[in-house]
Amino acid sequence: MNSITYNEADMMCVSIARRIYDGNKVFHGVASPIPMVSIGLAKKLHAKNLVYVNITGGVDVTPTHYEKSTDHPVLFDKTASIFTLIDIFDLSARGELDIAFLSGVQISETGEINASVIGEYDKPKVRLPGGAGSAVLVPSVKNAYIWRAKHDKRTFVKECDFVTTKGNITYVFTPKCIFEVDDKGLKLHRIFKNSSLEDIIEHTGFEVRYDSIVFEDEPTQEELNILHEIDSENIRSIEF
Amino acid sequence: MNKIKTLFDAISIIDDGNILALGGNVLHRSPAVATMEIIRQGKKKLHIVKTAGAFDVDILCGAMSAHIVSAGFISYETEYGLCDFYRKGVQGGTIEAKEHACYTVITALRASVYGVPFLPVRGLVGSDLIEARGFKWCKDPYSEEELIAVQAIKPDVAIIHVQEADELGNARITGPVYEDVLMAKASRKVIITAEKIVPTSTFTDSDCKAQIPGFLVDSVVHLPNGAAPGSCSSFYDIDRKALDAFKMCKTKEDIMIFIENAEKGRL
Repeated sequence: MNSITYNEADMMCVSIARRIYDGNKVFHGVASPIPMVSIGLAKKLHAKNLVYVNITGGVDVTPTHYEKSTDHPVLFDKTASIFTLIDIFDLSARGELDIAFLSGVQISETGEINASVIGEYDKPKVRLPGGAGSAVLVPSVKNAYIWRAKHDKRTFVKECDFVTTKGNITYVFTPKCIFEVDDKGLKLHRIFKNSSLEDIIEHTGFEVRYDSIVFEDEPTQEELNILHEIDSENIRSIEF
Repeated sequence: MNKIKTLFDAISIIDDGNILALGGNVLHRSPAVATMEIIRQGKKKLHIVKTAGAFDVDILCGAMSAHIVSAGFISYETEYGLCDFYRKGVQGGTIEAKEHACYTVITALRASVYGVPFLPVRGLVGSDLIEARGFKWCKDPYSEEELIAVQAIKPDVAIIHVQEADELGNARITGPVYEDVLMAKASRKVIITAEKIVPTSTFTDSDCKAQIPGFLVDSVVHLPNGAAPGSCSSFYDIDRKALDAFKMCKTKEDIMIFIENAEKGRL
């Protein structure tokens, strides 16, 4: 019997890390604890040659520890060279950034992301932080990986109130599952073992499409050991 | 020329209605204390430009000094959540949110640096921001490809907090640089606030050169802890107690008391 214990944040990090490949050039921005830790995990596990860039300008830094801010100088301190946010956007614009992590408050059936407003743009019910880089990165990066630490009907909606961005989305990660994105939009790719098809259907605001029911493997002991080692202060859980 | 000024004198060059660029990024090396001085001087109708702002933008919104915010992201990130003064100001119609992608802020500043009225940018395609914000398309006269044209933003004043500056205005940022050097070059006037004032020989007689040359700079203010309650790389981290206190503020009066207390704390 498998007696490994893990939580939703662990599962999200492990499943994301498994989809970051060796040699990838990978970026996360502000307010991104789960991607930050996932990138570190992938680098320690199987993607030793990934190139990790972030807003601080640090390149391939293995930080001494993680901070709650994902724009903290700790992501810069041990860098050998400097590659600024401006450079990162330019890299994406010329088609050379492999993965960018982005999020939103609403994610629609067709793969549109809203990080701008609830309600109308000019008279919003809720003014959200804004999409940061997403409006330019999602259409230009090779693979936009979207994550959201909430899976409910307010997040996964038929239509967004406002489309901040859409484009090259490859995966959407939630605490319950992974969606992939095809021509029609979100399609269930993997279910996490702490969830089920029924659970996902119940908490998704649109009809869940799928080809077959495939569960994502649970985290291995090795994956969890490294996760706990690199993120001993459990920064990955602050999104929950 | 000695450009050292008091904070009061440096900030007094800002006029109501100015376009004001703020250096740093979210809670890191932002010119937080300078924004408090702006509030104390009662500046109004400012148009704030920044890629990703937090405390600095929020406090200017709460004190009604800001009227327009052009930015890609306004939030304290995950730990401290939304900027409530900004959010409520936009929802109540007193603040205009000109949402950008961070890259379109950068492109707008680049256009200013290059001395051109606009620059094309790759991206934004498919975004409702194009219509909501009135971004216009342009056509490459060679290939006929259609791209979004980002209009130049030339800030009247940029305020940049740095670790080291000399009295001539040469300013050196250690740690993350963010968009600050671009911002300095794009703006009409530059105010530097610095943790340390160093002799010019610090730069001339070493390999550590200033990134912002003094001839672009109007004034230099010696301002230790000038990014607090945010962080300043290699000097101090985020002051969580002060941020908690700020997050409790509900009104402009609360903000004025917070500023007073912050001032006392620094003296």
